[in-house]
Amino acid sequence: MAKQYEIPVGAQHISLLEPLHFKFTTENEKIIGTTANIYYVHRGIEKACCTKFKFRQVSFVVGRVCGLCSISHTTAYSQVAERLIKIEIPTRAKYLRILVIELDRIHSHLLCLSHVAENSGFEPLFMKTMQYREAFMELLEAVCGNRVQFDFSIVGGVARDLKAEVGLMITERLRNFKPQVDELVDIFQNNWTLGLKNRKAGAITREDALRLNVVGPFARAAGLPVDVRNESQELLPWKEVGFKIITETGGDAYARSLVRLREIYVSMRMIENIINGLPESALITETKAFPDGEAVVRIEAPRGELFYYAKGNKTQILERLKIKAPTFSNVSAMMEGFEGNEYGSVPAIIASYDPCLSCTSR
Amino acid sequence: MKRIETTIENLKSDITHFYQSELYHFIVMNAVDLGEKIEVQWFFSDYTDPFEIIAFCTQITPDVEIPSIRDIVPSAWVAEAELVDLIDIKIENTSKGFVLEPDFESGPLRKKK
Repeated sequence: MAKQYEIPVGAQHISLLEPLHFKFTTENEKIIGTTANIYYVHRGIEKACCTKFKFRQVSFVVGRVCGLCSISHTTAYSQVAERLIKIEIPTRAKYLRILVIELDRIHSHLLCLSHVAENSGFEPLFMKTMQYREAFMELLEAVCGNRVQFDFSIVGGVARDLKAEVGLMITERLRNFKPQVDELVDIFQNNWTLGLKNRKAGAITREDALRLNVVGPFARAAGLPVDVRNESQELLPWKEVGFKIITETGGDAYARSLVRLREIYVSMRMIENIINGLPESALITETKAFPDGEAVVRIEAPRGELFYYAKGNKTQILERLKIKAPTFSNVSAMMEGFEGNEYGSVPAIIASYDPCLSCTSR
Repeated sequence: MKRIETTIENLKSDITHFYQSELYHFIVMNAVDLGEKIEVQWFFSDYTDPFEIIAFCTQITPDVEIPSIRDIVPSAWVAEAELVDLIDIKIENTSKGFVLEPDFESGPLRKKK
């Protein structure tokens, strides 16, 4: 009979970028059980949003939930607040929100891919991917005023317009970026050692993804075509700007990398379409209404479905704000995905999950 | 959002009757402190009608234990553990210490009594 070990990983660990604790039960090197704790970074943001801040200020607070997908949080909150005060935002603001969300998705996917490379022992690829990502951090700074897209979406619209020269800068960067993505696809798809490390690692099936309500690239890599951009056109016109859903069938770390890389092409096409056809209009709809009733909004953040629930009571302070981050939905599948794998594959698998505990714990 | 009012007694049979993993996506649970009572909500989306969010809702007093739905929706244990920590409600087979540290003050999202 194989000897059993219990191996803790985290909350501080070289292969973890987030304060998350796993405890693996292994039989020799093979993982047969996993437990997790996620409580290290709870900041009480929901509580603060319903006690200390007026509803218009809350978009600036939820932008601080996460430094990687700040625009997804501010947009989702702005949309749910706009539903409570019953306003429609200007057309230009809708397209600018999509533009920044897709720029953000590219940088976030590149960050994940770089860490998959690093945790698979492929440091030059980590550096190359981070170098390519830097161009998008600069674009985000040019569009939003800072590298982390804090405070771009606000209740009623967006806080900044897109300058013509910034539009040209984006077009130029995307032209240069295309062969760089081709190069990354070639490496992630065909490199022998990377393939050895990532194929069949952390795999889940389509049935598992359905059973465990998995979201985002994690689900799409397992063949489950779930993407809020494919579903909801009511608040933002995703399909009009060229959205196309991407799926793979392997369900493993390799497939998750390919989904993210192929999604980068889709995001690039959407950004180009927005730059080429950005309509003229105001940037914000002004109103003095107070939030009333309850509303929900879903948005596709880089890691998957982000859900906001808000309840108003005709005052400036919300009655309740609930945030459900994508990683929160994927915790069960993350734990099951480890089972049957060698302990040595854990770093690459964790990176391929692309967990965000800052969002999850809030 | 389509609200479906239910009761603690009928909750499991209602969700069992409703939920099929091929058709519905479980999003999350939520709870709103109404003062005397707490409204607990279970959110689902429909894969075939994605504009529709379905919320099963019931109002409880804080001393009532809610049945767990993890035998119907296996991933629901995460949402149940979160509500136990943040709202300080009782859910079948769910203990504290997943979202908040075990020695953290209970129910930070409850209104002050």
